[in-house]
Amino acid sequence: MRSPIRIVFEQRNETPKYLSTLVPLISVIAALVAGGLFLLATGYSPIDTYSNMLSDGFTSSRGITDTLGLSTVLICTGISAAFAFQMNLYNIGGEGQLYLGMIGGAWAGLALGDRLPSFVMIPTVLLLGSLAGAVWILIPAYVRSRLGTSEIVTTLLLTYVAASLVDHFVYSPGSFFVTKNSAFPQGRLVPDSASLTAFGDTSLYPTFFLVALLALVLYWVVKRTEFGYRIQVIADSPRAAHYAGINANRTTLSVMLISGALSGLGGAALIVGPFGRLDPGITLLGYGYAGIVIAALARNNFSAIIVSGILFAGLRSGGDKLQISTDTPIHIGVMLQGAILLFALGGEAFRRYRIHAVRAERAAQ
Amino acid sequence: MTNTSHEVAKGPHHESGAAPSALSAHSIVKRFPGVLANDSVDFDVLPGEVHTLLGENGAGKSTLAAMLCGLYQPDSGYITRNGERIALSSPRAGLQHGIAMVHQHFRLVERFTVAENVILGSRDLSFRLNRSELENRVSAVAESYGLPIEPGATVGDLSVGQRQRVEIVKALYQGAEILLLDEPTAVLVPAEVEKLFENVHAMTQAGKSIVFISHKLGEVVEISDRVTVLRNGRVTGHVSGRGTTDTKELARLMVGRDIELTTQRASHATGHEVLQIRDLSLNVGGVSVLSDISFNVHAGEMVGIAGVAGNGQRELADTIAGLLSPTSGSVAITGSMSTDRGPIHARELGLAYVPEDRLGMGLVPSMSILDNLLLTRDRHIVVDRASVQPEAVRLIDQFEIKANGPEHIARKLSGGNAQKVLLARELSGGRSATKLLVVCSPTRGLDVGAIETVRALLDDARSAGQAILLISEDLDEVMSLSDRILVLYRGSIVHETPGESAQLATVGAAMAGLSTEGNA
Repeated sequence: MRSPIRIVFEQRNETPKYLSTLVPLISVIAALVAGGLFLLATGYSPIDTYSNMLSDGFTSSRGITDTLGLSTVLICTGISAAFAFQMNLYNIGGEGQLYLGMIGGAWAGLALGDRLPSFVMIPTVLLLGSLAGAVWILIPAYVRSRLGTSEIVTTLLLTYVAASLVDHFVYSPGSFFVTKNSAFPQGRLVPDSASLTAFGDTSLYPTFFLVALLALVLYWVVKRTEFGYRIQVIADSPRAAHYAGINANRTTLSVMLISGALSGLGGAALIVGPFGRLDPGITLLGYGYAGIVIAALARNNFSAIIVSGILFAGLRSGGDKLQISTDTPIHIGVMLQGAILLFALGGEAFRRYRIHAVRAERAAQ
Repeated sequence: MTNTSHEVAKGPHHESGAAPSALSAHSIVKRFPGVLANDSVDFDVLPGEVHTLLGENGAGKSTLAAMLCGLYQPDSGYITRNGERIALSSPRAGLQHGIAMVHQHFRLVERFTVAENVILGSRDLSFRLNRSELENRVSAVAESYGLPIEPGATVGDLSVGQRQRVEIVKALYQGAEILLLDEPTAVLVPAEVEKLFENVHAMTQAGKSIVFISHKLGEVVEISDRVTVLRNGRVTGHVSGRGTTDTKELARLMVGRDIELTTQRASHATGHEVLQIRDLSLNVGGVSVLSDISFNVHAGEMVGIAGVAGNGQRELADTIAGLLSPTSGSVAITGSMSTDRGPIHARELGLAYVPEDRLGMGLVPSMSILDNLLLTRDRHIVVDRASVQPEAVRLIDQFEIKANGPEHIARKLSGGNAQKVLLARELSGGRSATKLLVVCSPTRGLDVGAIETVRALLDDARSAGQAILLISEDLDEVMSLSDRILVLYRGSIVHETPGESAQLATVGAAMAGLSTEGNA
């Protein structure tokens, strides 16, 4: 016979409000505990490691400004992913669109040279970067809306093409993006008119506020506008959209293009901000892929993405600095990010289900 | 709730002197989150008897049946079989005790033959199947109960009535002594219902017990030896005796108050033609779904389209609503062509459409009532919810929608209330005043109280001069409401009759394709 105790998952009719904040919080704590056990097992002090990470990532003035600086691009790729995800469009090629944003932004900066004033140059660079990101998703968006081709496959594969494109522009001799006759494989810096200055001695650029504002604007667009209404109808029930005469193809196309543009903006923000040049190192950083995780953690809520983006940036920059300040391996930060994601997704079960144990054969007791 | 009658035959053990009941439930309690689905329910069925569980949707009859066959386990109370207490931990355990359920939605593999479906799940099969021997065994079981089936036929080619018979044969083949039939007539045309009832008699003659689950009063009276009425999870009455039962009394036990289901068909002075359909044909993927359909609907008139599901009803409604483009022919609403011009244009001409699929097509499940009211209306670039709020409150009040307010999420409404939201939106006009209302299966799955309200709303709309096209698989509904009845069979209108003089037998025969007695 079966075991006397069974674990029963009972679907909740309604998720209590407190669980929506409690579950992510507990998920983060549980991930830290799991990470701590791992640290203990490998012979490091979890307390020391975490307090270092906390200070390097969040509480020291250097730490928090670095974190906010890094979060700028992560929030961009996060809202890019969420904007598509909310309509069940899985643009996982934000990474490639980010590269294109960098290429587009760098091209604008270099091509226009020092002739224009900053207040024209900066928006132009950001706009062209966004446009390049949108162009990169144009084909996936078009075939998705017309033929229903899986955007997961097309956007992902185009990321590899985008990475090759970055390499091509940096490594091919005589490229527009590099200094002539230089053997050093690195893009040349955009002119000063296309560069923003960081706040004081930090790596925090004004683009952070632009991006945070943009996240809030998107939140408003989805909740309050006709366009957002259409997105919600199509996301929940394409047949209701058809019934109401909402053109799902056109909305699909627009949503994907905007998603691509947002990742592109992230790339362009790196041009006007910390990088200032087309840097082939971007392909090793995975900022675009991180956006997927950030969007998932915030459950596609645009204002929550600001928080999850900053959290992730902090873990990342705090983790990166561990290696410098202590001898803890750099990968502990990466491991914690993974643990947080796993626990957060696992925590979903507690939000959706009530879990309790029952005796299997109560009728026969 | 309080003094509901147990006057007819109280208690399940009215024949306590006779043989023990084949199956009985004792003080069964079953809770679901927020709902007491069964509240100390007693029920029993004797050998060779048809005992009906009657109740509205949500009364708890399916829950009880699920516990009787082992699908659910009761929270308290117990079940006995021939007087002995048994534990049913799974449907397989139920089957071992000779209890089988025939579900409303068949669980057959369409690509398999009848015999293959019948033996599916049997554990005493050899590795290599001897097809002809199996078919003979299946035939033998079927014929001993007068259930003619073709064991070699592919299930996908069978009619709904025949598939149901396969399900019953499957239960019998597995050794069922007690069959639970869950709303078995819901999917059948009248001729098939008759056939089913003959089969039920043959089975009870052979000593099988039948638990018949239904909310249709007429057939309950016809088939049952005894009736147990459930309401809100409680037994509100045990009624015995075939044919002697008063349907009004049953309805009162079921709903808890007197109800009036037969609407008065006033002789309406009908107005001009609001909907004109000319030579409409539609092919989908090379298959003809609608062919050469022409009819009109006048202002103040209700035209009913009768037919078995899948004969082109949905496509006809979608074409009128501008969701499908016809292959040939035309649709005109209030004199203007609407063919090929999309749903928004049709609505601007005065169309309102209540599709069969309420949640998922007519309503967006995750959205609030307020947002759902906006679905078929003109929305500004920035959606102005505040200006619709008072109207939403008014409609909730006027249509007696049970909701916490305009912010109530559509998915969390009961079926009846969801339908009322849909009707409220469609009847109140959106892009223009409603002149033509197309409604599909407006009362399907609703409880008796809600059915009454929905029908009254349709009646009011007709009196207000709206033209109504009622498309429904519920023949009783079409017959009792329509001024004119058209029968749709394989995409063509095969029969037309005025509502008042319509004959059940004639309309039923037309629905079945006129000359199909042989395989009905």
